[in-house]
Order: sequence, then structure tokens, then C-alpha cells
Amino acid sequence: MIEFDELEKKMVLKLVYYGPARSGKTTNLLKLHDLLSDEGRGGLMVLDTQDDRTIYFDLLPFFLMAPSGLRIKVKVYTVPGQVRHDATRKAVLQRADGVAFIADSQLTEKVNNSESFDNLEKNLSIVGLNIDKTPLVIQFNKRDLERIIPEPEIKTTWTPTGLPFFLASALEGNGVIETFSGLLGLMYDNIDRQYGLLAKHGLERETFLKKMTTKR
Amino acid sequence: MSIEERLSFIIGEEKELRDILTGEEILPLLERALKVGPLAARLLDQIGTVLWGVGHVETEKVLSVNCPLYLEGEKTGQIVLFGHENRQSELLIIAEFIAGTVNAMIVNNLKRMLTTEIHTTIVNQSYEELAASEAKYRDLAEKLEVKVEQRTSDLKQAHTILLQQEKMAAIGQLAAGVAHEINNPLGFIASNLNSLKKYSERFIEMIALYRQTIGKLSLPRETAVEFDDTWRKLKMDFIIADTEELLIQSLDGCKRVTKIVADLKAFSHIDDGGIVVIDINTELERILNVLSHWIPADAVIQKKFADLPGYPCDAAAVSQVFLNIIQNAIQTRESGLQLDLETIHDRNKIKVIISDNGPGMAPEVVKRIFDPFFTTREVGKGTGMGLATAYETMQSLGGRIEVDSKPGCGSIFIITFPVSEAVNV
Ligand SMILES: Nc1nc2c(ncn2[C@@H]2O[C@H](COP(=O)(O)OP(=O)(O)O)[C@@H](O)[C@H]2O)c(=O)[nH]1
Ligand SMILES: [Mg+2]
Repeated sequence: MIEFDELEKKMVLKLVYYGPARSGKTTNLLKLHDLLSDEGRGGLMVLDTQDDRTIYFDLLPFFLMAPSGLRIKVKVYTVPGQVRHDATRKAVLQRADGVAFIADSQLTEKVNNSESFDNLEKNLSIVGLNIDKTPLVIQFNKRDLERIIPEPEIKTTWTPTGLPFFLASALEGNGVIETFSGLLGLMYDNIDRQYGLLAKHGLERETFLKKMTTKR
Repeated sequence: MSIEERLSFIIGEEKELRDILTGEEILPLLERALKVGPLAARLLDQIGTVLWGVGHVETEKVLSVNCPLYLEGEKTGQIVLFGHENRQSELLIIAEFIAGTVNAMIVNNLKRMLTTEIHTTIVNQSYEELAASEAKYRDLAEKLEVKVEQRTSDLKQAHTILLQQEKMAAIGQLAAGVAHEINNPLGFIASNLNSLKKYSERFIEMIALYRQTIGKLSLPRETAVEFDDTWRKLKMDFIIADTEELLIQSLDGCKRVTKIVADLKAFSHIDDGGIVVIDINTELERILNVLSHWIPADAVIQKKFADLPGYPCDAAAVSQVFLNIIQNAIQTRESGLQLDLETIHDRNKIKVIISDNGPGMAPEVVKRIFDPFFTTREVGKGTGMGLATAYETMQSLGGRIEVDSKPGCGSIFIITFPVSEAVNV
């Protein structure tokens, strides 16, 4: 959590889209920006890029107000996927309330995916986050392409981990909201347990998800 | 210092308009605006506080228009323009224009700030990592130092062992030299004693004949008494009986000295420089002989020797190995010693197993017995060098020494020789 100010009635949360370079993290945010209503969210801020590659991060901010008057802000970030930007990834990952791991479904990207996932595990522990307690969802992106990891294989690999996984084509806009919504749900449960979103602030899970994912 | 402590920014920390905009940017913009109509212009924050403003509002016939400012999509302030009542639509356009410009400024400044923030964060983190890697480097240097120390002590140890081996060789040479010197006089002593024994037998025989003859003669009484008195006074009966005994004992002693000298010479292998073929069983026997003086009288020694092939080696060094271990074994007990020597020929190795029923050793002692200068006995009895030298010798032969020992259970030393080079003696 970035910030929680009870007096000011403000809570600032952070979600991070993590994954190997060019797996479609920025495209995910672009699609969320395109598909979701302007109400309660800001513009997509794309920090300097180099040949369409993210060097800093992208940011899509959301905000809503709980019935108690608590203003909740959710900032969604992407990280640069390239190996050399590890320091930036760590910086962005600090105090994250949830992570969506965007994997590239293409068979050729298997190694990159697993290296990036290892890197996520390492960096989570470096910034002091417990991987077992941090909301985490996996997205297998680029399902529109050929020569991709088959669905049954994904199922057999990921079902035992208990981590929710989603199939998506960010380019076509499929599975993007589902992934986001899945992550928001896990984050809600986590924050609710600690801060009583429902009990203290009257914010129901359904309402929260609906407000955050209203389409245009 | 933890990352948390060094961190001056958290990516995503909330900001306000006053953090993002500066008077230097806003005031010229507002002043420009006044030139085209408005009487006054203000930039207000979320709760209506004027952050920057220009112009005065004095007359009554004034109206105001406002336009919102956004920060990350949220309304966080506004631009307010004051002007003449009849200029409302104009004011609105100008306000719209200024707000648009300020909103673009907000986004750009925010981007720049975020970029700077992440830079700062990364620099801090890199500093952390640098410090960490520096620590790692220091650690490495320390490890290197330890390694150098280790290596130095290894070299020292090797040097000491070499010195010891040289010393042993010198002692062996000395012993062999002394043995050689003893051999010659010993030879004539023995042969003379043998002659003396024969001569004395003749003396005795002759004396007996004299006595017998004198007894038959009728001598004056006085002379006869003197004869008998002197015979008794000189204890001639005892002397005659004892002379033979003395000579037998002396000859026996001579034989023993001869054997010891021969063993000592053989054991030192002084005559066979370099590699010779030895029979390990014979070497063991010889060592028991050399050590015979130190073996407690009531000791029980069991030998179980297998038929062994001849073993080519530096014989002096190998017998040193046996000597050291057996010497240790016989020192474990002053009485009730049971010493077992066993040799085994097993395809490509020869094993010599030397076990005692001494007090045994604790694991931490076992671990160190092959260290030079390590000794459990009081100063003077052992240099503590023997086992280290033995260990070194076996290693150079491609063999090894193993120890099995527990307190209260005696010790077993197993010496293994590789025998690819074994030949028949
Ligand atoms: N075919 C296909 N291409 C995609 C998909 N998602 C992203 N891409 C493409 O992959 C490239 C990298 O995407 P980007 O979002 O910049 O990746 P990032 O490095 O993870 O931010 C771009 O050319 C995207 O158009 C997808 O679902 N299908
Ligand atoms: Mg990107």
C-alpha cells in the first residue's frame, strides 16, 4: 500500500503488471484505458519509451469513494521487462498490493517467461513482499497467435499452484478486463481483511469490482 | 541501512498541485491572460486556497468563471478568472484555454517528476547494491586471506614433515652406522667368549684332575689343611659351577645384541637406497623386534599374516609408518595390552590392520591425530610428528591410513597399499 491516511480518509493502492519484455503489459493498460469508462479514472500516462519499449513505467490511475467517505485510489503500473531495467522493476514493485504476471503464450517465449517469473519472486522478496501473501494472477497473453503453449498444458502447470490464470489477447481486448478484475478481487479480499473495507467503510466486493471495471 | 530507510520516494506517492506546479510557470501565464481582458486570475487548490494569483478585483460589476484542473484524473483545483459582467463568454474561453495549458503542464511536470523519482530511487538502490557488492568484495578478500593463511600453514606443515623425514633418515643412518661399528667388536667378543668357554672347560677339567691326584698323595697335614682352607675361602666349588653359566649367559647376550643390530640395520634399510621390494610381513616382525624393549612384559601380541606379494617401495619410509603406529599402540597401555597385527591381500590392495585395546580416542582427537605436533601424550614421550609423517608417506604412495576409534573401545589403524606394482619377491 502506498498510503493510508485515516484522518484524510484516503487510501492509495498499487497494482503492478509484471512480465518479460514485450509480453503485452503496456497493451493491457492501453486496452483497459480504451475499454473502461472515463468516470473515476485518469488518463494513461506512458513515461518515456524507447522504440516503443517501456523504460520507466506506464501508469493508469483509478479512484472511487467508499460509502464511508474513504477515497480509494488504485494506481496500476507496468514495469519495463528488459533485464537491464531490474532496478526500475524493484522500485515500482515496492509496496505493491497485487501483481498481474503477463506471460507471452508463444512457445519461443517459455524461457523468457520463466526467467521473468523467477525475477519477480526474487524482487518481491527483495522489496519485502511475501509472494504467498501478495495477490497474484497470471495472464497468458497473445492467444491470437499461432505456435503458442496449448491450453491443457497451461492448466496442468498452473492449476496445482492455486494461482488464478487467464488467457488473453490484449491486442484484441480479450481477457484483459477479466485479468484486471481477477486481480482486483484478490486485492479487495486482502485489504478488506486488514482494513475492513466492508465492515468499516461499507464497500462491498461486488460494488468495488463493478465501479473499477465499468465499461464505456 | 535498509532500502526502506534510504528511500526518499515511493513510486506512486500522492502529490498536490503545489508540488507539481511552480509560480515561475504559472504567474507569467496568468499575467499574459490579464492583457487580453480579465481583471484578475487565480489558481486554486482542491480546498479553495489561492496558490497563485494576479490582478485586483475592486469594482462591483465583476463576475467570475472557473475551469477545473485535473491530477491523475481527479479534480484537484481550478482556474478562476474575474472580469466585467459583459465579457463572460470571452472570460470562459480564456479560462478554458488557461486550464487546458495548466492541465498539460501538470501532466508533463508529473511525468518529469515521476522520471526523476524513479531515477532517485534507482540511484539509491544502486548505491545499496554497490555497497552490498562492496561488502561481498571485502568478504571475498577476507576469504582470500584465509586461503593464503591456510596455504601457508599447509606449506609449513609440508616443510615440517620434510624436515622430520630428513631427521628420521639421518637417525636411521646414524643407527645403521652405530650398528656397523658395534658389529665388529661384537664379532670378536662372541668368538673370544666361545674360545674362553672352551678354555675354561679345560681349566676346570685340569683343576679337577689336580685335586683328585693331590687327594691320593699323603701330604704333610699342614699342607693338606691349607689346600682345603684356600679352596673353601676362594669358593672354588661355586666358581667352577658358575663360570660355565656366566659364559653361556654372555654368549646368549652377544647373540641378542647381534640380532638387534641386524634388525636395526635391516629396519633402517640403510643398505638399500631408493626403491626396493619388501615383504611387509617381515617388516612388521622386524619392527616388533626393534621395539621389543618397549613392549610391556605381559602384552599379548597376535599376528595373522596373509601371504603377500613383494611390495616395491621406499622401504625405510614404509617401515617408519609401521614403527610409528605400532609404537603408539604399545604406549596405549602399561599392562594388559593386546596388540593385533593382521595383513590382508585383497586383489589390488594390501591392508595392514593394527589394533590395540587401549583407551581409544575421542572424535575430536581422531580428527587431529595426523596434524603435525598434535600429541595426546606428555611432552618427551612423543613428538606428535610420527602420525603426520606416516600419513604423508602413505599419501605419496597412493595409499591411505584410516582410523577407527572410540573412547573405551581401543583403536584400529588400517593402512592400505595399492598393489598394481606388486611383484613376487
Ligand atoms: N498478436 C498479439 N500481439 C500483442 C498482444 N499483446 C501485445 N502484443 C504486441 O506485442 C508487442 C509488445 O507489446 P507491449 O504491450 O509494448 O509489451 P510490454 O513490453 O509488455 O509493455 C507490441 O507490438 C504489441 O502490439 C496480443 O495479445 N497479441
Ligand atoms: Mg511496456
